Amino acid sequence: MAMGKQLQTVLTLSGQYAGLITFGIFTTFPFIWALSVALSGDPSNTWLFPRSFIPTDVSLMWFKRVFDEMPFMTYMKNSTLMTIESILGVLIVSILAGYPLARLKFPGRNFIFVSILATMMLPSEVAIIPNFITLKHMGLLDTHLGAIIPNFAAAFGIFLMKQAFEAVPQDLVDAARVDGATEMQILWRVMVPVTGPSIAALGIFSLVNAWNDYIWPSIVISSRDKLPLAVGVFNDLTGPFATSYSMVMAAIIMTVIPVLIFFAFTQRFFIGGMDGAVK
Amino acid sequence: MASVTLSKIKKNYTKDVCVIKGVDLEIQDGEFVVFVGPSGCGKSTLLRMIAGLEDITEGELRIGDVVANDLHASKRGIAMVFQSYALYPHMSVYENMAFALKLAGTDKAEIDQRVKSAAEVLQMTHLLDRKPKALSGGQRQRVAIGRAIVRQPKVFLFDEPLSNLDASLRLQMRVELSKLHQELKTTMIYVTHDQVEAMTLADRIVVFNAGIIQQVGSPLEMYENPSNLFVAGFLGSPKMNLLEADLVAIETGSAHVRLPEGIQIRAAVNASTCKVGDKVTIGIRPEHMQLSTVDAVNAVPARVDLVEHLGDIVLAYIQVKGINEILCMKLPAESDVIKFGDSIHVVFPEKNCLLFDAMGIALKRV
Repeated sequence: MAMGKQLQTVLTLSGQYAGLITFGIFTTFPFIWALSVALSGDPSNTWLFPRSFIPTDVSLMWFKRVFDEMPFMTYMKNSTLMTIESILGVLIVSILAGYPLARLKFPGRNFIFVSILATMMLPSEVAIIPNFITLKHMGLLDTHLGAIIPNFAAAFGIFLMKQAFEAVPQDLVDAARVDGATEMQILWRVMVPVTGPSIAALGIFSLVNAWNDYIWPSIVISSRDKLPLAVGVFNDLTGPFATSYSMVMAAIIMTVIPVLIFFAFTQRFFIGGMDGAVK
Repeated sequence: MASVTLSKIKKNYTKDVCVIKGVDLEIQDGEFVVFVGPSGCGKSTLLRMIAGLEDITEGELRIGDVVANDLHASKRGIAMVFQSYALYPHMSVYENMAFALKLAGTDKAEIDQRVKSAAEVLQMTHLLDRKPKALSGGQRQRVAIGRAIVRQPKVFLFDEPLSNLDASLRLQMRVELSKLHQELKTTMIYVTHDQVEAMTLADRIVVFNAGIIQQVGSPLEMYENPSNLFVAGFLGSPKMNLLEADLVAIETGSAHVRLPEGIQIRAAVNASTCKVGDKVTIGIRPEHMQLSTVDAVNAVPARVDLVEHLGDIVLAYIQVKGINEILCMKLPAESDVIKFGDSIHVVFPEKNCLLFDAMGIALKRV
């Protein structure tokens, strides 16, 4: 009887670990393959499976060539600037929109919230043409602002902040009111500090989305020196004039690593924020 | 310091939902008034209306001489202590207490002086650098009180501040609140559902039920002369024994009632507003019922159903033939002679019996 129970436990655990390992391999293998190809001085095994997962003739030459053959640091600088501006824009808009939806009573509140949520049902491609025309009239084509501004009022961020603000006890807001705080003071001096983890989580989400954004920046920005990493790497290293897949992989690795490092250091806010925000 | 006057105050949430149904009340300057009542009776809503956190649908609120209906909460000269303490978790104790003063643009030196002075009064000077999460429940409550004190308000408002504390801490904080009132002599309005807090803290108690004031008076007055059945049953633990009876005779300064099985009891009340044959309710507090002998006048036979020894007192639950309700008697601790199943006799002293008419209104005691 005891043997049977033990065997069952072993089988169950094995099944769980097998599933997790399989899922882990499934999600990480593209990165591992890209890293292996980028570190392989000899690209002859690139398309051989599973040989290509082990670097052949380890070398950093492809990484060096990326810096030589494209303005990688310019693209990195553009990506960094656009990401920071994007994060700030998303946080400010989401906080300012989330607070009244969560805490203030005004006519049409529910309708406005449902309308914002409804935009999450639409594919992003639907907004490309209207946004392009709008930016053209505003004179924001081929600018960083034009490339990031449509993302500021993302429904996800507004929804996340609304949920986070709703979780703050009403007594805290009442105490601040009795203490003499205006609505803006309640928002910035009480609500925002208290919902720090949710704001951090939203910031990290926004960072990852902004860093990896490709389609919209590639449509809006035409000047090479303004391109972010995702677009610049794709334009320069792929297509009919592409020279080497190894170089593409090296560029991809260098594009992904900054976000990976950042995420590794901040993931506790990411998970903590979601726990607080999503009931 | 200021008085608080409520004139015909009403609160409707919707057209059909009226939670405060017309409250008139005058609270004197420096008085400690306790709003008490069951859950949902409207006492917290009324407190929040005084604080400015809820709109007043109808009526007038005056704080001092100023009509405060449309004044912002921070401009009413009030400070509030919440049941959940409502401390800002990201601020230290010092910052929590200084927050209101900072918002008001008070000078840094004065903020420092006021915060440290309040911390001294509440014996929390050593806690000023801590965050709320590093404090115990009692300490947090003191910070909440300190945050109110630094504002030097005209009126303190307390919304069930001791509900989240354990029994011994509650007792300790009650004493501290009482001492604080004696020291500051500021008007204090305190909301609680705990009648012990009401009885021990209040200069005057206001008993609420279903959005209406049932009675206002000093604790002793309310205890000895409740104005209606609700107040009689609400104040006092164990609660008053209430028995349905028929009025059989009215004399000057006395009324005779008959209970089932022909048991007759006299109450020293003025029953001139009633007539013989009326349905009435007779009430007697557990501590006023007395053990007696079989040959005593008006002795009522009973059987002991349950005895509870509380250390300093004994609670005996007795059954009288013909009466459905179990009566409760409070006896001194030495009365451990009675036990379950004993046949006893009890008397209802005339001067301690209250009588309530068919509408539940108390007849005046003589």
